[in-house]
Amino acid sequence: MAMADAMERPEATRTGGRPFFSCRNVESYYGESYIVQGVSFDIAENEIVALLGRNGAGKTSTLRTLARAQEPHLTAGEIWLDGQALHSMKAYQAARAGVQLVPEDRRIIPGITVEENLILAQTVEPRGWEIAQIYELFPRLGERKRQEANTLSGGEQQMLAIARALARQIKLLLLDEPYEGLAPTIVEEIEKTMEVIRRSGITTIIVEQNALAALRIADSAVILDMGEVVFRGTAQQVLDSEDLREQYLAV
Amino acid sequence: MDPNALFLQLLTGLQLGAIYALIALGLTLIFGTLGFVNFAHGALYVIAIYAAVTVAANTNFLLAIILVPALLFAIGVAFERGLIRHFYTRPHTDQILITFGLAIVVEELMKWIFGANNIPFTLPEWGSGLMVFYSDWSAVPAVPVFQEAPSLWVPFIEGFVTYQFWRVVLIAVSLVTVAGLFALLQFTRFGLVVRAGMRDPEMLRFLGINIAQKFAIVVGLGAAIAGIAGVFGGPITQVTPGVGMALLVPSFLVVVIGGMGSLSGALIAAILIGMALSFSAEIANLQQIVVYLIAVVVLLVRPRGLFGKKGVFE
Repeated sequence: MAMADAMERPEATRTGGRPFFSCRNVESYYGESYIVQGVSFDIAENEIVALLGRNGAGKTSTLRTLARAQEPHLTAGEIWLDGQALHSMKAYQAARAGVQLVPEDRRIIPGITVEENLILAQTVEPRGWEIAQIYELFPRLGERKRQEANTLSGGEQQMLAIARALARQIKLLLLDEPYEGLAPTIVEEIEKTMEVIRRSGITTIIVEQNALAALRIADSAVILDMGEVVFRGTAQQVLDSEDLREQYLAV
Repeated sequence: MDPNALFLQLLTGLQLGAIYALIALGLTLIFGTLGFVNFAHGALYVIAIYAAVTVAANTNFLLAIILVPALLFAIGVAFERGLIRHFYTRPHTDQILITFGLAIVVEELMKWIFGANNIPFTLPEWGSGLMVFYSDWSAVPAVPVFQEAPSLWVPFIEGFVTYQFWRVVLIAVSLVTVAGLFALLQFTRFGLVVRAGMRDPEMLRFLGINIAQKFAIVVGLGAAIAGIAGVFGGPITQVTPGVGMALLVPSFLVVVIGGMGSLSGALIAAILIGMALSFSAEIANLQQIVVYLIAVVVLLVRPRGLFGKKGVFE
């Protein structure tokens, strides 16, 4: 059965018919609050998925749960990435297994330089892009490498946050609100970066308030409502269905 | 003021500051990185002086210089893994209670093993004797003559001044320790990780760094510095179970005055407090309150302390 699956959907498989990434009945809590309520979905290798939903649908919490943050803490379910059991790992182990979270508030480390932020990402194996390569893609970061990172503009900080993730070897990139609070010209630049990510074939989950922007670059979409998956399909299906957009996305 | 008396008071201020700096350095390092208030830090000093006096009496002093900081490092790591990591997210009051309790346990334990009285701490031969400071360059002998301690030239004094050599050693050790720790934190990858971990430990975990392990090393380092303080400060501060608590309070004030988590702040505040104590020594009642007076004034003017960083534990 697994073999048959693998033959039908070779792009979705890697090890013995298992999807490249899958989460099954994932539940997590912030303190006593039940936030992620039995979320399940699969992702194929190289796929870009838009994780959508209204405010408070549990998108950020889902990403943080997948990255194995301490809060919200995982209480049930399984998370598999390329045959590795993320659900039994801590955040730093998940990161070493190839999960990279770019948090919504960017979380650039203040008090140290741009370059030091990148060096931090390369402290432990497995490393991704060389710092020189990163400066080629983001010349502006190269120009400001000795500058304190928290003095960068919002857009530059977002670039640095993405660059910092690229400095690690990534199997699954979790992007939380990459366009949040950015001027339209900066959004264009980040979109170019997203194109690079797409071309490099990095499997990605992108959470974005601006659903249309996310759907433009995504292959498929997962819609969350009240901490549960209510839709799993292609990005085009969401773009085509007014019902879905009205009911769950308000766009 | 008599220049010789002034010079002696400066030396005494530096020496007092050196002890406070060594204790405060460990405190501020642990507080700065982990946000953890370690009231057991004085107890680590007590363990260090008893370990030092025991090793020095049974083997030799040089061995104590190596063994005691290493022992304290191990104790610090065990202390972090076994106890304090469970209290990182708890309120400071819980942290103070648990470490204060531990300090009392250690104090009583030492009393039980070694007794409550001062144990004489014999200085090694190379460290005893008096240092002579001459005002006349040509008077400084090339080879130490006066009780075998080295001599130095100090232009602004009159004639010569003598001072216990060991106290100068303590000042030097303190400066080297501060410089070493500063270099470790400022110029190494480990230091970068620790400094970044102070700001955002979770983000470091997302970058694959096992920050908990680094924090255990930080507590080990803080304890090892208390070990260094114990070996070099023990012969000066007395060897009694109560000395840890007596040193903890002014050292904690040094941390607060310098700015929580600031190493350079701790050093400068330690020298400031040392000098204030030294220069107020002649006015008997003033010396008891001078430390607190300085703390009040500094905190009124700069609530964050002299070098406290914005956003760190506010």
